[in-house]
Amino acid sequence: MYWLERHQLDNLVKKLTESYELFGPRRDEVSGEIIFDRLSHPQQLDLKAPIPYNPPKYILFPHYEEILKYRYDRQSKKVVLGRVSHLKPKALVGLRSCDLTGILCLDRFFLGQEFVDEVYLEHRKKLFLISNTCVRPFPQCFCVCTDSGPSAREGFDLDLTRVGDRYLVEIGSKKGQSLAEELGLKKAGEEAAELKKKVVDESVSSFDAFALENKAWISRATNRLTTGFIKPEVWEYIGNQCFECGACSFVCPTCSCFNVEDVNRLDGATDRLRTWDSCSFEGYTKMAGDHNPRKPVEDRRNKRFFCKLSYSQSKKYLRPGCVGCGRCARVCPGDIGLPNVVTYIRREITGE
Amino acid sequence: MSYHRGVCNFCGTGCGHLLQVEEGRVRGVYPLPGHPLSQGRLCVRGWHLHELLQTEERITTAFIRKNGELQQVSLAQALDYVTEKLKKIKGEEIAFLASPRASNEDNYLFGKLARAVMKSNNLSLASDAGQEASARVLLSGGSWPAATGSLARLKQADFILVAGGDLTKQNPIIASEIHRARRAGALVVTVSPRKTQMARLSQVHLRPAPGTFFLVFEGLTRILYEEKKIKADYLEKHTENFQAFFKKLDQVDLGEVVARTGLSREILTEVAQKFYQSKLTYAFYPTGVQSLGQRTMAALFNLMLLSGKLGQNEGGIIPVTGISNLLGSYDLGLSPAFLPGYLVASEEKNIQKLEELWQTPLSRKQGQSVSVCLTENESLRALVVVDHDEEIIRNVNRIKELELVVYFGAYHNNFASLAQVIIPRPSYAEAEGTFTNAERRVQLSRKKVDPPPEVRPLWKNLTELARALGHDWKYQSAEEIFSEIAKVVPQYSKLTYRQLESHLGIKWPCDEKHPQGTDYLQLPEAGSKFRFVLEENVRPQAQSIAEEKANFPFRLTVGRSNYFWHQNSLMKRTFIPKREYNALLLLYPKGFVEVSEEDALRLQLREKQPVRIVSESAEMTLAARISPDVLPGQLYIPYFIEEMIPEFLLRQAAELEKNEEFFLPVRLEKGG
Ligand code: SF4
Ligand code: SF4
Ligand code: SF4
Ligand code: SF4
Repeated sequence: MYWLERHQLDNLVKKLTESYELFGPRRDEVSGEIIFDRLSHPQQLDLKAPIPYNPPKYILFPHYEEILKYRYDRQSKKVVLGRVSHLKPKALVGLRSCDLTGILCLDRFFLGQEFVDEVYLEHRKKLFLISNTCVRPFPQCFCVCTDSGPSAREGFDLDLTRVGDRYLVEIGSKKGQSLAEELGLKKAGEEAAELKKKVVDESVSSFDAFALENKAWISRATNRLTTGFIKPEVWEYIGNQCFECGACSFVCPTCSCFNVEDVNRLDGATDRLRTWDSCSFEGYTKMAGDHNPRKPVEDRRNKRFFCKLSYSQSKKYLRPGCVGCGRCARVCPGDIGLPNVVTYIRREITGE
Repeated sequence: MSYHRGVCNFCGTGCGHLLQVEEGRVRGVYPLPGHPLSQGRLCVRGWHLHELLQTEERITTAFIRKNGELQQVSLAQALDYVTEKLKKIKGEEIAFLASPRASNEDNYLFGKLARAVMKSNNLSLASDAGQEASARVLLSGGSWPAATGSLARLKQADFILVAGGDLTKQNPIIASEIHRARRAGALVVTVSPRKTQMARLSQVHLRPAPGTFFLVFEGLTRILYEEKKIKADYLEKHTENFQAFFKKLDQVDLGEVVARTGLSREILTEVAQKFYQSKLTYAFYPTGVQSLGQRTMAALFNLMLLSGKLGQNEGGIIPVTGISNLLGSYDLGLSPAFLPGYLVASEEKNIQKLEELWQTPLSRKQGQSVSVCLTENESLRALVVVDHDEEIIRNVNRIKELELVVYFGAYHNNFASLAQVIIPRPSYAEAEGTFTNAERRVQLSRKKVDPPPEVRPLWKNLTELARALGHDWKYQSAEEIFSEIAKVVPQYSKLTYRQLESHLGIKWPCDEKHPQGTDYLQLPEAGSKFRFVLEENVRPQAQSIAEEKANFPFRLTVGRSNYFWHQNSLMKRTFIPKREYNALLLLYPKGFVEVSEEDALRLQLREKQPVRIVSESAEMTLAARISPDVLPGQLYIPYFIEEMIPEFLLRQAAELEKNEEFFLPVRLEKGG
């Protein structure tokens, strides 16, 4: 591990902007809220900011993206294919551990299965990732229940932990190593690991006091979901409250549903587009022949929570599909974010 | 790539969003946390706005029809052509159809072009019957003509009445606020014949027979009066005609209310009592297409007034505008009834005031709405239209006869194809302007991307036209127009772009007395009072009280839906909302009619079985969809998918859309 002094932070950021587009948490001037955004000035970076309202997912899995361009040539009767790729390398600075874990989940989905998603891979290859330990959780957080925070264990190039007014830097990759060396960071001594552990332990033990929004019962809920012991009335109750907006999927760092559309452009070419999608939509599971396996909305809701919490899913991702960021609770018009669902399930178990 | 603050442009909720812009194109959208109303939520439409903003199905150049074909021309040629034509047209020969989706600045100049340049008062929106009725009722009650309460304290409400429509579909984020209030302890009472999602989210659902809405509120008022649950002090101090209103209440027959609405006296009494006891009370109804009738709005207003619920606190009446800038359009006088600032258009002193501000003589001729012009005004020769985004066009044949139809729009659609001249408009993200949501919140939206090269803001083209027609308009920016609006519209008098820029909207009235805007309607000041809206002040209800005949035992109503509310051609340019729409169409390619489980059993109908709907004048065939959402004796057709709307409905669309209380007596026969 290394030490990054306060004044070296600027050097780090400056260095990164030489080869990367810089992304990180910034504060919106008018609303005062935190957004994970492209930073036009390095000074916009706010490492003390609470968890951003949006996960960094859009940077490697955009809301709307041309993944292929093709043109049918009438004369030769041939299809000319072209990839639309002009991706710039990007540095994501100040990732919260839950969001980094989210990226690792997306990796498993897009890269870790039978087929490798080339488009995603290209985004992914060009990223430089710097995570940032949460020395104290935010009200919506429950990563301690989903094993995804408050400190990152893997997947970063560099990991920062604030200790006093400087940062402990953990190296996660060769890229990270060379950047630390280039910046001339001071090697930390033996005590570093102990120091970091202390910060993280303190953070974990402060969840009870600070992470008040979501009283988690995740493991019991997981159990229930997997064994299917949840009464249909509970799902119906939840389903009635769903406005079918799709937000819970869109804001989730691990949701990877997408839709593919071919759009004919005015210049004669066709763009194949990939856009975000959500299992909350009726059309998402619609099959030919008028058969929709998850027609009633409560079934579609139930599907999402299965995806996030059941064992079978966890096996696929080697971890729960939920990383405990609490975002789906904030954006849900129906007030049925995952933490609330867990509460309903808990009530059912305890008969409250 | 970065995120820019903005305002969703679909419905009158006006949710705050962030548009993700990359290389001059909008690539994504995300809810803006911290927005005072939407607080980081969007509905399915708002989450897909970027798909619409990316479409290439845009109007990017001007066109003139020559020998029946639209031909591409330069912007200057198109404006010249229109100028020459307009020079030969008199005020009463032309009508102006404005867009409730356009900015205040564009709308203001559009209205000014009609009234000040063309001397025409034939100026209106297309789907606003409810909005006008609502403004009239509130004004005649001595209130201001829009939301009297503030949604900021909705979560502390103890009683919420939701009358008509389905807010979970029309204005989902306002419905979400109501849902949260309920979870925080409010009693939510929904009044609608159909079991909507809003009704499912309410503790009490009153289902009056179609056409009897007003009786519900008149009945509740009568019960309170009978039980002496009135705020005598409040009435004495703050209202002027309560004696006359009491006389009217003496005539309300509760027996008739119970018989016609089908609601029991017990439930009405229970609701009335809870309503009376509540401290922070809200009443919501949708405006625009499929609103309530004017008599119903008046009855609701009187109910609130009798119990002293107006002007006391943040509670109040919230007319919910279905389209983004519907309220702003009325604020700026895009109606034959009102000049900018809700000055009654027929009063001489108001016209003189506007003449002074605009420094030009105005016509005294009473204006007509565009739909009235098209059906009744035989001297009509020309029509100027902004972004008519409904696929359904009534009076097509009359429009085809006109000498001149000018269409200003961003997207090709059925209306554009009827035009002789088409002039492109920027999309919502390509121009700046202000929009006024249902809470009276005026919000500034900055330009985020450049429009295509030939495309300029509407106000610019209107300015050019006015200049060519001899009026020395000098507007150089939307901001300049806004500062003129502040001079003309009293409710906007202290608003400036500078102030709006550092706020997430400011609620009018924003004037001398309330320089920071106004949260909710206060009690009237000394010298003025609230008034009960008595029937004689109210235009007769536009509603068929047609007695059902034995031949036509069913009451057919229509409604709209989430994705394709009201024929919106915009949604068809998105992917996900369009797919959702197609999903329904795949299931019922010929459209469907919802029948209650009881009637289906009685008539032995199967799901998807073809049925014939027969009215006195026409018939159509659709598939039956057996639904728990309609009551026996009622039928429901979602009025949003063009393909599902056969001639049958089209012919009656004008009435069916007038308000939600309208129904058509029909009979249902098996077989296609
Ligand atoms: S969920 Fe955990 S990792 Fe994520 S921001 Fe909260 S504390 Fe940090
Ligand atoms: S399910 Fe909800 S809390 Fe869990 S990771 Fe997704 S958005 Fe965050
Ligand atoms: S965010 Fe809430 S309302 Fe929207 S789809 Fe998800 S569960 Fe339903
Ligand atoms: S509720 Fe209305 S304003 Fe808000 S996101 Fe939906 S359509 Fe847009």
